Amino acid sequence: MPNDPLLTVLIDFFDLPPNTQSASITQQTIAAWDSLAMVQLITELQRTFSVEFDLDEIQTLRSYDEIRHSLEKKGKFSATPAAPML
Amino acid sequence: MYRQWIRALPDEQRAAIIEAGETAALSKVRRALRLLQTLEQKGPRFEVELLSSQNLEPVLPYLQFALSCLPSEPQLHLAPLDDIEGYVARPAESDRLLHARVVIWRVEEVLPEVLFPLSHGFPDQLLGRIEQVLERVERLVSLHRKFAPGVPLFISTLPLPSHLANRLFSSQHEAGALAAIARINSRIYNLAGARGGVHVLDVADWAATQGAAHADVLLEMMARQPWSATGQLSFGFFLARSLRPLLVPRRKALALDLDNTLWGGVIAEDDIGGLVLSHDFPGNVHLRIQRELLELRNRGILLVLLSKNNEADAKQGFDSHPEMILKWEDFVVRKVDWNHKHENLRDAAAELKLGLDSFVFLDDSDYEREQMRQAIPEVLILNESGDPLQILRALWETDAFESLTLTEEDRQRHHDYSVRAGRNVEGHNDDLEGFLRSLEMEVTIEHIEHSNLERVVTMLSKTNQFNLTTRRHSRAEVQRLLEQQGAIGLALRLRDKFGDQGIVAVLLAVPVPEEGTLNVDSFLVSCRALGRGVEDALWSAMLEEARRRTYHRVEAAYFASAKNQLVANFYDRLGFRRDAQNTNAVRYVLDRIETAAFPPWIARSSVNHAE
Repeated sequence: MPNDPLLTVLIDFFDLPPNTQSASITQQTIAAWDSLAMVQLITELQRTFSVEFDLDEIQTLRSYDEIRHSLEKKGKFSATPAAPML
Repeated sequence: MYRQWIRALPDEQRAAIIEAGETAALSKVRRALRLLQTLEQKGPRFEVELLSSQNLEPVLPYLQFALSCLPSEPQLHLAPLDDIEGYVARPAESDRLLHARVVIWRVEEVLPEVLFPLSHGFPDQLLGRIEQVLERVERLVSLHRKFAPGVPLFISTLPLPSHLANRLFSSQHEAGALAAIARINSRIYNLAGARGGVHVLDVADWAATQGAAHADVLLEMMARQPWSATGQLSFGFFLARSLRPLLVPRRKALALDLDNTLWGGVIAEDDIGGLVLSHDFPGNVHLRIQRELLELRNRGILLVLLSKNNEADAKQGFDSHPEMILKWEDFVVRKVDWNHKHENLRDAAAELKLGLDSFVFLDDSDYEREQMRQAIPEVLILNESGDPLQILRALWETDAFESLTLTEEDRQRHHDYSVRAGRNVEGHNDDLEGFLRSLEMEVTIEHIEHSNLERVVTMLSKTNQFNLTTRRHSRAEVQRLLEQQGAIGLALRLRDKFGDQGIVAVLLAVPVPEEGTLNVDSFLVSCRALGRGVEDALWSAMLEEARRRTYHRVEAAYFASAKNQLVANFYDRLGFRRDAQNTNAVRYVLDRIETAAFPPWIARSSVNHAE
């Protein structure tokens, strides 16, 4: 599994192949990423990274890159070493 | 809740369930669900309909997961959001297959005006709105009973709103949100208490014990789904625990230790004066343990004393300590000696005619608990630590003894079994018929109808030993069977010199396509009436009824279970011929219906022909 907690979460959540590249994870490319999945994904991200998203941010969480950007702004993302997963 | 079940699972499934439970991560929950699907032995199918005023769709995997851990194979049917009455007032044939209907609603949708009282005619107009909601609750129950009378209905209480401005003012008025919720909930409790088949899903209690941690305002606004991930998982287990009594019979007996459990200290070493049992700390912990145990006894859980002591010492503690709450006689069986506790528990189970999986074990000693766990895996170990506070918590938190209802049989059980345990000692009497006559038994044969249906369904769900087919019919299934033209449903009520024993035997028979033929669907006798001939009495009544309805042939079957060896040859004894058999089942035919004798030691009182 990748040494990137966000990538791990997204691969697990959408049941993607383990070697999926982060750049390919976007709402456009993943059919299962509908509005229901969005609600569940936000729940999952808030739980995993102990964050709360602002209303503005919610509209932008449409890809790996955008989610990562939000987490980085909150100081909740570091790719190495692996953050402890619950 | 699922500790014991999980221990028997393969490593992969067990690890996945634990990980899902600890992380509350949706991906882990889904993974555990996938792995559970691969198990060969799943729990029983469990059809649950969910009607909700909040959006449960995102939560479904959590509910599915928690219900699977009962274990069961849940089939969840989620009604369209807010369409509660529309769904209930629907004469759907599929209602027949439902095991439970659950209504989950919140003040945010049911009565949003109380969140903004000054904008909605506070107080008079609001009080009128509260009345309307009370009527709505009543109407919902009526509709349910009209369209799906056999389906257990669970109505949620309204939790206090997580998000409410001006709480202080809200609390000062009967038209405020908090008082409105209290009134509505009070009506829901009343309705459940008053009517069979209506139960409370106490979401208000769950939310109160969860605190603010279960709520998530973002998800609430975004999706009308108010709970965080841990809140969703916690709600799943709360729902599972609330529905559990529909699937899993509660444990019937608690076998427990004496020293350092009922009191602090060891009677053989400390003498009466040295025992820790008082109204002051820490003796009050043991006092509270005893109060909880007495309550269990009064609710129909049989207490068995397993103590390594001299009996005289132990009894002296009961007789002489002024603070004792439990009496020596509160234990239906007492095994106070130096044998292994698992051997004594087996003996107690045999005396009470209970299966080993009816027992829970409580002991402060790690050694005793471990030995019990290894010797008799069916026994549920109640506590995981010997600390008295932990024992008390285990008593508070266990679901092993939980039930939705309390029957007259429950209240009488301690007495009934005390008599039986004593009787087994007398049982060495060679003159069996003389002994049976001395019991002065009198039976009434009743048709199964509304008034005794609950007891019949309870018996179907619990009876293991004298049970020819072990069919665990729901209330709805029994009603469906008996609605068939020509079906016969009989229940036998027993009275003896010790009192009214209630309904102790049940027989369901339905016609089959072959002309004049009846098939015995279920035939069972409660374990506390075994060996007394009531099965012959019921069979005699059944043949009489079958002849009256001009049947001339009976089919029946014996399905072997882990517990019903006792009746493996029962139909042979009644004169059936074996028609077909394999390792687990024997099919029988009785080619001619003749009368069968009523046991001479049992008197028969009037037959109730109300149908």
